[in-house]
Amino acid sequence: MEPKARTTETRSNGTTSDGDEAVALESLQFTDEIHRLISAPSTDNASSFTALLELPAPQAVELLHSPESAKLIAAPAPNVEDIKGSFHFPSNTSLIERAARFSVFAGDSNNNNNKTGSAETTSNNSSQNPQKEVKSEPAETESCQPLVSDPTVEKRSIKRKDREKKVKGSTKKSKTAANESSEDAEKLPYVHVRARRGQATDSHSLAERARREKINARMKLLQELVPGCNKISGTALVLDEIINHVQSLQRQVEFLSMRLAAVNPRIDFNLDSIFTAESGSLMDGNFPSMVMPLMWPEVQVNGNRQQYQQQWHFDAIQQPIWVREEVCNNYITPENSLLSYDSSANSATLHSNQVKMEL
Amino acid sequence: MRSPGSLKQEFLKKWIMGFQRCSSSKKSMSVLDRKKAIKLSADIAMASARKGTTCWSRALIASASKDGSDKHLVEQILGPESERLILMKKFSTGALVCSKRIRSKKILKRSCGIRRTRKCAPQAALASSIAKRLVRKRTQVLKSLIPGGEFMNEVSLIEETLDYIISLRAQVDVMRSLAIASELVNHN
Repeated sequence: MEPKARTTETRSNGTTSDGDEAVALESLQFTDEIHRLISAPSTDNASSFTALLELPAPQAVELLHSPESAKLIAAPAPNVEDIKGSFHFPSNTSLIERAARFSVFAGDSNNNNNKTGSAETTSNNSSQNPQKEVKSEPAETESCQPLVSDPTVEKRSIKRKDREKKVKGSTKKSKTAANESSEDAEKLPYVHVRARRGQATDSHSLAERARREKINARMKLLQELVPGCNKISGTALVLDEIINHVQSLQRQVEFLSMRLAAVNPRIDFNLDSIFTAESGSLMDGNFPSMVMPLMWPEVQVNGNRQQYQQQWHFDAIQQPIWVREEVCNNYITPENSLLSYDSSANSATLHSNQVKMEL
Repeated sequence: MRSPGSLKQEFLKKWIMGFQRCSSSKKSMSVLDRKKAIKLSADIAMASARKGTTCWSRALIASASKDGSDKHLVEQILGPESERLILMKKFSTGALVCSKRIRSKKILKRSCGIRRTRKCAPQAALASSIAKRLVRKRTQVLKSLIPGGEFMNEVSLIEETLDYIISLRAQVDVMRSLAIASELVNHN
């Protein structure tokens, strides 16, 4: 079944790369469901499709654990043609991530599951803005355009859906559309949600559920961003962690600005003098200092306060106040280990390189 | 996708610009004043690096532009964009009206909710209502942390938090590198 779809894809769509194949396949299935389910064509552009594509992302994680079948989300296929690349298509990684999630979602082989794990972590560590990821979806739908009318794949998707029990409320979906569009801060107008078995299907609860799913999707992203939140379950605790993280970051900004104020008698950071203090091994210093800042967000709190203070003593910096205040956050550790590798002369080099690289 | 490196670059550029404008204005300042100026220019630089795409950045710039003393610094850092961003500030002041509406809605909901909870079974709803109350408290705290957070609904609050955390991280990284580098230069 699967190879057939892939071969039809490759035949009809020679432009997509291998990485996009899974993407095209999964979105194809969605578009076929769309054709089946939605009689009335929606008037929206594919930005709603992007919202729908984005929503199952956290549910794909749930699906890995939950026995209940997938909750598919339909999107308006007829309007795929309307999009003329008005959105960015920044990179393929977000698409591959989404594709990987959908492929888990549709019960594909283990390859895709592995792809999910890796793609998810990499993309979420590098993702800046969920809206950008969302916006990259419509470009994906363009590539799936020629595959929409494939009947064989449609049958397959129907069989897959027979496993699920759903309530189809297409008129109610348009109501949820109106509800969502009014309250949505993003430009994604509406969302089609299929009710699960045993759940209420009136427009209010559908809208509620759609909203809750959106919130859960964002919370998942936040959980991946904030270190140490992955293991925590429960919204309140996760929110606690997020609040602590934001507060610690804000405090760090305060302390650092105080530190900078203390260093200079006037507000004048003489970057030239910093850069002229370099000596010799520039490129050697570059790589570790580039790697270290990238790794900082993933370092967990060790609780090794002894370690912090020892490494602080290795430097020429004598600021016991700042040590006490900054000792409780995670970000000091790799920096201190970085500093401890070198003598103080070289560490000046390293940090000037850091500043230089950030320019 | 915006890379963290380019964000840091932009931030640093604007921050240094802010420093230069700041140092040209006053001759000698106390440590606290300097710290305030540094923090302010860092915040403004960070917010302007987002170029008004996010709500928190607009709110941050708006609140900074409110004071007369900081206003010209803000305008200098922002440069030609300042007019546009201050116009966006007008949108955020429109958010004040939204906040009143939101507050009245909350009062209404609370009054209706009190009636509702008395009707339904206490046992079953107890755990979930406690959880809901906890979550609501946390979201209130989060709203107070994120600049301009009081006016957002939950969905956008979470997105703004995401963006804010990323920006804060970049800001902390750049500031720390600069601090350490300049300290080492000064001590050598």
